[in-house]
Amino acid sequence: MIRDEEAEDKGFEQFERFLEDWSRRDFLRRMGGAAAWTAFSGGVLEFLDACAGGNTTTSVTAKKGGHIVEGAFSDVRTFNSMLSSDTASNQVIGLMFDGLLNSKKNGDLVGALAQDLPKTSTDGLTYTFKLRPNLKWSDGQPLTADDVIFTYQLAYDPKYADVASPRRGDLSKYIASVTAPDPQTVVVTTTQVFAPFLATHGQYGILPKHVLGSLSAKEINTADFNKAPTVANGAFKFVSWQSGQQVTLVRNDNYWAGPALLDQYIYKVLPDSTTVANQLKTGEIDIGPVDPAQYDSVKASGNVAITEFPVAIFDFYAYNLDPTKLGGKLFAQKEVRQALVYALDRQSWVNAIYFGHASVATSVEPPTSWAFKAKPQVVYNFDKAKANSLLDAAGWAKGSDGIRANKDGLKLQFEMHTNAGNKQRESLLTVMQQSWKDIGVDATPKLIQFPQLVTEIVSTRAFDMFLVGFSWTQDPDEAPLFHSRNAAPGGFNGADFKNADVDAALDGALVTLDKNKRKQLYYQFQDIMSDQVPAPILMFNVGLWGTSKRVMAADFGTYNQFQQRPWMKDVWVSDGK
Amino acid sequence: MIDPGGITQLDLPGAAIEGEARRPAQSYWNESWERLRANRIGVFCGALILILALIAIAAPVFSQFVTHFDPARQHLSDNFRSPGHPYLLGTDELGRDTLTRLIYGGRVTLGVAFLTVALSLTLGTTVGLVAGYYGGWPDDILMRVVDVFLAIPAIFLFILMSILFRPNAITLAAIIASVGWGGVARLVRGEVLSVKQRDFILATRSIGARDLRLIFRHLLPNVLPVLIVAASLGVGQIILIEAALDFLGLGIQPPTASWGNMLTNAESYFFHSGWLVVFPGVTIFVTVLASNLFGNAVRDAFDPRLKAH
Amino acid sequence: MIVKFIARRLLASVIVVLGVTAVTLTLMDRTRGAYVPGIDLNPALRPEDIARLRADLGLDQPFYQWYVTWLWNVLHGDFGRSMIDGSPVLTHILERLPNTLELTLTAVVLGILISIPLGVIGALRRGSKTDHALTVFSVAGFAVPQFWLGLMLILVFSVTFEHYGWPWLPSGGVTSPFGGGDIGDRLLHLIMPATVLSFFYLSLWSRFTRSSMLEVLSQDYIRTARAKGMSERRVVYLHGLRNALIPLVTLIGLELPGLVSGGLIVEVVFSWPGLGRLAFERALQYDYTTVMGVVFFVTLLVVAGNLLADVLYAVLDPRIRYS
Repeated sequence: MIRDEEAEDKGFEQFERFLEDWSRRDFLRRMGGAAAWTAFSGGVLEFLDACAGGNTTTSVTAKKGGHIVEGAFSDVRTFNSMLSSDTASNQVIGLMFDGLLNSKKNGDLVGALAQDLPKTSTDGLTYTFKLRPNLKWSDGQPLTADDVIFTYQLAYDPKYADVASPRRGDLSKYIASVTAPDPQTVVVTTTQVFAPFLATHGQYGILPKHVLGSLSAKEINTADFNKAPTVANGAFKFVSWQSGQQVTLVRNDNYWAGPALLDQYIYKVLPDSTTVANQLKTGEIDIGPVDPAQYDSVKASGNVAITEFPVAIFDFYAYNLDPTKLGGKLFAQKEVRQALVYALDRQSWVNAIYFGHASVATSVEPPTSWAFKAKPQVVYNFDKAKANSLLDAAGWAKGSDGIRANKDGLKLQFEMHTNAGNKQRESLLTVMQQSWKDIGVDATPKLIQFPQLVTEIVSTRAFDMFLVGFSWTQDPDEAPLFHSRNAAPGGFNGADFKNADVDAALDGALVTLDKNKRKQLYYQFQDIMSDQVPAPILMFNVGLWGTSKRVMAADFGTYNQFQQRPWMKDVWVSDGK
Repeated sequence: MIDPGGITQLDLPGAAIEGEARRPAQSYWNESWERLRANRIGVFCGALILILALIAIAAPVFSQFVTHFDPARQHLSDNFRSPGHPYLLGTDELGRDTLTRLIYGGRVTLGVAFLTVALSLTLGTTVGLVAGYYGGWPDDILMRVVDVFLAIPAIFLFILMSILFRPNAITLAAIIASVGWGGVARLVRGEVLSVKQRDFILATRSIGARDLRLIFRHLLPNVLPVLIVAASLGVGQIILIEAALDFLGLGIQPPTASWGNMLTNAESYFFHSGWLVVFPGVTIFVTVLASNLFGNAVRDAFDPRLKAH
Repeated sequence: MIVKFIARRLLASVIVVLGVTAVTLTLMDRTRGAYVPGIDLNPALRPEDIARLRADLGLDQPFYQWYVTWLWNVLHGDFGRSMIDGSPVLTHILERLPNTLELTLTAVVLGILISIPLGVIGALRRGSKTDHALTVFSVAGFAVPQFWLGLMLILVFSVTFEHYGWPWLPSGGVTSPFGGGDIGDRLLHLIMPATVLSFFYLSLWSRFTRSSMLEVLSQDYIRTARAKGMSERRVVYLHGLRNALIPLVTLIGLELPGLVSGGLIVEVVFSWPGLGRLAFERALQYDYTTVMGVVFFVTLLVVAGNLLADVLYAVLDPRIRYS
C-alpha cells in the first residue's frame, strides 16, 4: 500500500534466507531492553549499527505492572478490524484483537489464535486451521470457529454486502468458503491458488459473534462497538477513547498467551514528528517513531534508546506513461527514463536528506524480501556523463536556454508532485530538480495535499511525475503497482505501465506456492523492471523507533512495527509505574 | 475633520517687511508630514522597510555580486554550516545559502504583504466609499456582504482556500486580502459617514458637483490617512499571517523560499543548526516591528487627536 | 422601538450566517472530486466499492441539492457524520469546545491581569524609562510569530528544563495521559499555551489601558478631585482607573467572538485538542462534513455574540437604537 507516514504489515510464509541473520537477533533479544538491530547487507546496504547505549543487559527479572504511553501521528478511526483501513486503527486493533496468525519481526508467520500454521491442501486451495483450545474472550465467553467465520463473512459473504469493508474486494474475489467442521477447526477454501493469501488475509483481528452477530449489515457500519469495543481477545482490552487525544487500554487477563505484564497501554495522538521527538525526550511518551531528522537530537538526550532496522518501505517516483498525456510524450523512450535515474547522486542523499538512515535502492523489491535481487540486470550508479549521452542519443538536444528538446520542439519540461508535510519527500524533489537541471531537464516540484495526490495517482492521472513512499507486506507480490490490469482508473498503477512479460511473471508467481519457482519469477520481474524503469525506486527506508529507558523487552522489527506486535505482552517497565 | 484642499493663508506680521520671506502655506498634509518627519523612530522604521523592499527587488543583483549564490542551488556536503565564509549567514539542510534565500524570500514575503495591502485597500475603499456615500439599499447590501466575510473566522477561510487554490505568492495575497478588505470597508465607510454631513459637502453638492468628482476630490483625501495607517500596520500583520500559514503547511510551498517557510523549516532542524531559526526569525520580527512602529508614527502624525498624549 | 431594532439585527444576523454557509460550501464544493475521504489507499478497494461509498456520503449530488439537504439537517441539529470516522460531527464539536474555551478564556484572563497593571504603570510613569520599556515590550509582543514563540517556549521550559533535571512544563495536551486530570495537572498544561495566546492581547490591551488612563487622568473631574484634596491613590484608582477601564471592557468584548477560533495555531503547536485544530486537521483530510460543521458552529457563536453585544448596547445606550 502507499503510505503516508507509516507502514501496514501483513503476514507471509517462511523464508529461509533470513534465518541465519535472525538467530543472531534472538540472542540480542534475550539480553532484554530495546536492543538494536544490524541491517543485513546484500552487498549493497551499509551496516547500520545502533546500539542502545546504557541499556541494561544483565538479566533483570521482569516486573509486573505499570503503564506505557506510545505517541503516534494519527488518531484512530475505528476499532473494527474489518472496517479499518488506516495504520493507526490497525495498530490499536492489533493489540485488542488477534487474528488466526501473527507475524514475527522477520516476516515469518506464526500461529496466534490458530495453534499453528494451517495445513494446506495439495492443490493449494484449502487451508485448515486448528484453533487453540480454551480460547476465551475478555468477558469469559469462549472464542470458537464461529467467531472466525463471522469475521470473514463480513467481508466476503453477500448477506453482509452492505458492510463497508475495504477488504471486500480481495476477500470476495479469493474466498470461496469459510466453514467450521467443529468448533475448533476453521477451513478456508480459496477460489484460486493465491500465494500471498495467508500473509495478506490470515491476520485480521477476529470479532465477537456473540456481540455483533445479531446486527444487520448496515447496523454493523455504525455499531457502538466500533467506537468502544466491549470485549477483546488480544493482550489488551478497551477502556476509553478521547477523540483526538488518546486511547486507553488495560490488560486482558484472558489472553491466550498469558496476561501481559503491563497494566495499561495508552496511545497518544501527536501532531508531528518534532512533537514526538520532544515528548520522547521529556518522557511524556515512552515509545514513538523517530523521524530521521530528529534522530540525532533524540539520541543526544540520553534517555531514549533508538532501534533501527530495514523495512519493506521505499521512496520512489513514477513517470506518467499514458501516451495521451504529456508524460507519455516525454518519457516514452526507455533511454530518457534511464538517463534521468543516472543523473541522480543518490548516495549523497543518504546523509543530507536521511541523516544516514536510508540506503540507495537497487531493485524494485525491498531488501527485506526473500525475493530481493541485489544486483538486477541494470544497476544505476550516479553517472552524469552517461545521462547526458543517453539523452543526446535519444534525440533530446540542449536548446539555447539550456533545456533539452526533441526534434518536434517539445521541451523536456514537467512537474513533479508529492504530498506536502513530508520533509524527506520535499527535499527529494528539490535535489532531483537540481540534478536534472544540470543535465538540461526542467522539472518543477509541486507539493499538494495527500488526498489530492491519491486522487491524481488512482483516478485522474493528472500528473507528469509523482513521488511517494510505498510499504509492502511480507509477500513479494507487486502486482498492485505494476500489473497492467491495475492501470485502469481505480488502480494503483498510476504510471500506466503495461508490459506483457511483467504481467506474466507477476501472474505466474501468484498461482504457485512453490517458493523457488516464485523466486525465479520475481528475479525475472526485477530484471525487467530495472531495465524499463517505469517507476525508479530511489531509496530504501529504515524503521526508527525510540523507547524510553524504562521500557523493557520492546522488540521492534521489520514486520513488527505497527500492527503485528506479538511481543507486546512481554513488555514491562523498569520502574513498575 | 480637515479642510479639503483648503489653503489657509497665514499673514504674518513680518511678511510685509521681509517681502519674500513668507512662511509657506501650511496645509493639513504638510503639517502632518512635518510631524511625521520629526518622529525619528517612525522615520527610521519607514526607511528600514523601504530598504528591505529595495533589497528584495534587487535580489538578483545581490545574489550575483554580494553572496555569489543562487537561492536554489544545493551544496549537499556543505549543509548546516554556521555563518562564515563563503556562506555569510550559513547554510540550510540542503546546503543552500541562507542569506541569498533570505533576500529572495523577502521578495516573496514582502511581495505578498504589499500586494495584499494593495488589494484589500482597493476593494475595501471602493466598497466603503460607495456604501458610505450612497447609503440606502446599496449600503445595506454591501455591508451585509462585508459582515459575512468578517463573520467567518479568518483562519478557517485561509485554510479552506489554501487547500483549494494551491497558493503561489499572488493567490496567497488574494486569499489574505479576501478576509482583510471587510475591515477596510467598514473603516472607510465610517469615515465617509462622519464627513458626509459636513457643510462643505452639502455646499459642494448644492452647486451641482458630480458624484464621482465629489468622491474622489473631497471624500477620498479625508479617508486617506486612515488608509495609510491601515496599510502600514497591515504589512506587519500580513507577514505574520503568511508565516502562520507556512507553519500550517498552507502558505508558500517549498522549495520557493519565504521568510515564513524558512522559519518553519528551521524548527525541524533546530538541533542541527540553531542559526537557521535565528535569521528568518529576527528578520520577521524586525520587519513587523518596524511596520508597527511606522504605522503608529503615521497615526500620531496624521491625527493628533488619536495620539496617546 | 427596541423590538424593531432587535428584529432588524436578527434578520441581518441570519442573512450573515446563511451567507457564510454559502461561501464555505461553495469553496468545499470545488473539492468534492473523485476523492472519497477517509478511504486510505487500499488496493483491495474496487471501483464499485468506491462508487458506493461516494453515493452513501452524498458526494454525487449536484451542489444545490447538497447545500439544501445539509442546511435542512443542520437547522434540525443534525450536523451529519464525519466522513473520516463516521462519528456525529456535533459530538466532535461539543467534545472539543470546552478545551478551546478553557484555553482562550484563560488567555483572556491572563491578558487582562497583566495588561491592566502594565498600562497603569505606563500611564503613571509616563515618559520614564519604565514606560519606554513597557511600550517596547508591548509593541514587540505584536511582532512575534505565535508558532515560533510557542515552539521556543517548549524547547526551553519542557525539553531543556527536563534535561537538566529542573522542574519542567509538559509540552502538550490538556492533561497527562496517565495519572493526570486533576486541577494542578490541567494548570501545568495550560500555562504555556495560554501565555502564548495571551501575548497578542497583552500588547494590545496594555497600550490601550495606558492611553485610556492618560486620557481620563487629563480630564477636568480628576483635577477637581485632586483640588478637593483627595489622596493621589484614591484619585488614580477610584476615579481614574475605573473610568479608564470602561472602553477597555468594550475592546475586550470585541475579542470574545474570536475566542473560539483564535487559538488554532497555539492548539496545533501544543497538540491541544480544540475546535481550531479539529477543523484544520479535518480540512487536510477533506472531511467536508466536519469542517462545515465546525465553521457553521463557530460562525453561529460569533454572530450570536455580536448580536447579543449590539442588543446590550442598545439597551444601555438609547442613542444607538435610533441610528
